[in-house]
Amino acid sequence: MTEITSPMAGRVQAINVKEGQMITEDDELFIVEALKMENAVYGDPGVVKEILVKVGQEVEEDQVLAIVE
Amino acid sequence: MIDRKYPLHPYFQEMPSIGSVLPRVLKKNIEELKEQEEIVAKEVQRVKEAGKPTEKMNEKGEWTAWQRIEYLVEPGTWCPLHTIYDPNFNEEGNTGVIDGLGKINGKWAIIIASNNKVMAGAWLSGQADNVLRVTDIAKRLHLPLVWVLNCSGAKLMEQEKCFPDRRGSGTPFFRHAELQKLGIPIIVGIYGTNPAGGGYHAISPTILIGHERCNMAVGGAGIVSGMAPKGYIDEEVAQALIENTKKFKATPPGRVEIHHNGTGFIRDVCETEEEVLDDIKQYMATLPAYDPKFFRVADSVEPKYPAEDLYSLVPLNPRRIYPMEEVLARLFDNSEHMEFKPDFGPEIYCGLAKVDGFLCGFIANRQGGLGNNYPKYADYDGIGGKLYREGLIKMSEFVTFCGRDRVPMIWVQDATGIDVGDTAEKAEMLGLGMALIYSIEQSDNPMMTIVLRKGTAAAHYVLGGPQANNNNAFTLGTAATEIYVMHGETAAAATYARRLVKNQDEGKPLDETIGKMNEIIEMYNEKSRPVYCAKSGFVDEIVEFPQLRNYCKAFVGSYYQNPKTICAVHQMILPRIIKG
Repeated sequence: MTEITSPMAGRVQAINVKEGQMITEDDELFIVEALKMENAVYGDPGVVKEILVKVGQEVEEDQVLAIVE
Repeated sequence: MIDRKYPLHPYFQEMPSIGSVLPRVLKKNIEELKEQEEIVAKEVQRVKEAGKPTEKMNEKGEWTAWQRIEYLVEPGTWCPLHTIYDPNFNEEGNTGVIDGLGKINGKWAIIIASNNKVMAGAWLSGQADNVLRVTDIAKRLHLPLVWVLNCSGAKLMEQEKCFPDRRGSGTPFFRHAELQKLGIPIIVGIYGTNPAGGGYHAISPTILIGHERCNMAVGGAGIVSGMAPKGYIDEEVAQALIENTKKFKATPPGRVEIHHNGTGFIRDVCETEEEVLDDIKQYMATLPAYDPKFFRVADSVEPKYPAEDLYSLVPLNPRRIYPMEEVLARLFDNSEHMEFKPDFGPEIYCGLAKVDGFLCGFIANRQGGLGNNYPKYADYDGIGGKLYREGLIKMSEFVTFCGRDRVPMIWVQDATGIDVGDTAEKAEMLGLGMALIYSIEQSDNPMMTIVLRKGTAAAHYVLGGPQANNNNAFTLGTAATEIYVMHGETAAAATYARRLVKNQDEGKPLDETIGKMNEIIEMYNEKSRPVYCAKSGFVDEIVEFPQLRNYCKAFVGSYYQNPKTICAVHQMILPRIIKG
């Protein structure tokens, strides 16, 4: 089980996966935006077990966004 | 037994590491960037296919400019420039010359060849500026200029676009004189018929080598026979033209009998295509150049991480952030460096690194968040790509020290601008931007710039942009390059925001204004992309990502080949400042 964390403080602009979805290493799981710049969040291959944030939510650096197994 | 070591080896033999293994291959980004590179490649192909087919020329025993360059330049060293440069959008797709950096007989040179496939290498619109850019490189890098000449003179139907003007087709002859005045040799291999402008291209270099069937003259057969005193053409004039043309076709002026046997302008006459180029190689061997060992500070080592990683690292989407250090790690020898003031001005990377064993200064825009409380003068957060007070001060210092230590510099631009607003003005952004420009000019240092992604607003200028005419040798773009005064959406808002307010206050529909705003955005998009940037000369070449290091090596190797001024490595101050 791995935690997908936010690389920076910002706002969740997009969530591109659903719980139960199989992901590959180059799937953009989340887009976190701050100061008009976007950071794409990736994860290791696996299945998304739980998504812990919503679009528009403010997140801190290293905050867990999802859990993948 | 002599125990040899590099100078200041405790500093440069093994420097701190930078970068890491690529965490993931981003297939979508790779595809998007390669799609852009494919668009550029098609333009390059269009230029190469313009004019006479290669096979037809070869059947007549004549090589194309590309074949001549391939024979002349050492394999793996050719770094083409201005391939699709065509500022006036000629039907031929470029300006009628092909140029670039390459090694000839072990020495770097800037090489320019007439595109003899198109109108026998005629002057086309934009060619003069292309040649001047090439002479700028020779001047800045103190580098021999090699001409592979085959120039039929002006494209007469468009003479007004190439003959006159302050920076017109006559200006390169003065530049040739200037280069020689500065001690920079020019070698020319002369092929074909070179009348008028072609003749001056032939006579203005230092060493003239002629193919046995070449000629060079003040005027060609066409010009002599075209002197019509009546001011119009009638049957009598036409008949005279026919007679004269036949005569001059048989004996064009300025053949090797005249300019080798007679005047002695042409030193050597060669029987074959190859012999001319072989002779150029022999003259290159006679030119002064330091052995690379003289200036190297370590062995040349390739980066630890593959250049192909750059396709995953640099997002085409301009809003996406990425770690600039990882890009630099794929340019530096053995992915090693010494960073200058890492805790000051975090939006900017400044550091020393080795390229092909030579010392080089690098400045690059970091991307992404800059941490809390930066910039210190403001109550808002800073973001990488933008320039703030500390970063501007740090760059001025670094440029000044590189100039003092005679270390050439490479800028890696991905900038959105300089901080704006009254808070920023009070923090002296305007003055510090200009101070950096002054530092660059004062350094008298050669620079190369890579507009990796965004080259925006005044940041594009102050970050060693091509506008630094006396320092910037050349500027490269990539598949991700965008150059504009501001983003299209910002421009649309700046132009139409007040009208939107007015429309709404008057109860009018917004559709028309919104449409105009979107037109601006579309226009900005079209006129900032890589092909447009290369055609217009905003950059000197769009380079595929894995080739960037080759250009860095060509630039640094060219600089250290025969520098005008020297700082002994053990007398440099910048490495000591970094070490503390």
